[in-house]
Amino acid sequence: MPDQPLTPFTGLPLELAISGSAFMGWAILIALIFWTIYTLIAIYHWIRFSHAAAVAYPAIVLHLMVSGGIALFALSSFI
Amino acid sequence: MNLFAVDLRREFELEPGEEVLVETRKHWLLFVLELLPFAIIAILPLVIPTLLAIAPPLAPYADRFSIGSASGRAGLGIWFLLVWTAAWGFYTRYYLNVWVLTNMRIVEITQHRFFDREVSSVLVSRVQDVTTEVSGVLFSLLHIGNIHVQSAGTVDEFHMNGVGNPGRLRDLILSHVAEHSKSAGV
Repeated sequence: MPDQPLTPFTGLPLELAISGSAFMGWAILIALIFWTIYTLIAIYHWIRFSHAAAVAYPAIVLHLMVSGGIALFALSSFI
Repeated sequence: MNLFAVDLRREFELEPGEEVLVETRKHWLLFVLELLPFAIIAILPLVIPTLLAIAPPLAPYADRFSIGSASGRAGLGIWFLLVWTAAWGFYTRYYLNVWVLTNMRIVEITQHRFFDREVSSVLVSRVQDVTTEVSGVLFSLLHIGNIHVQSAGTVDEFHMNGVGNPGRLRDLILSHVAEHSKSAGV
């Protein structure tokens, strides 16, 4: 049995493990690398195997536009 | 290479006199329903601050996930980017899975994953049996169902699940089977 009074839980020492903006910078970089590779592979499949340019190109443009918007939103935290 | 000349003929060579009658995919409603998990996963981080605020020991961390903070906005942006990319990849695979019916054969193109593609075909003259299956109230109302095509000489069947108007496709296939049978004098 502990003879000392219990101390209240004060929270996780998150600051020790994560240094805010540096971590986010790396996370965004890794996400963008993943996005680039994945997007290139998917675009290759659209162009090589899709059956209609009328669908393939709008789909690719839409993806690039939406992704660009999201990336700007993520990067705006550093401005 | 003309990038704007993307068409079906790159996938397989059409024989002289062969023409594409129908190209069909899984019904769009099923695709939209399969997108729902992506939508739920996408909004998950928006709920996290509320959930953290409910648990008193974790309440101070709610601000970290708030869209108002810089790290929260960056994290949310990364999350949205990954979920959107995954959903778009899902749409890519959905679109590349297709059944093509020509006046001579049925071609089944299955895109299992990226770089994992299967193209198989059966001559209409070898089709022995076409079965359609529509099950459930919603599917009956929207004419969504499955088609199974059995060809002669093999145990392989062609399956296409969740296509729109399977009855019309079956009739189309069978009408060409009948035409081939007549022309072959069967």
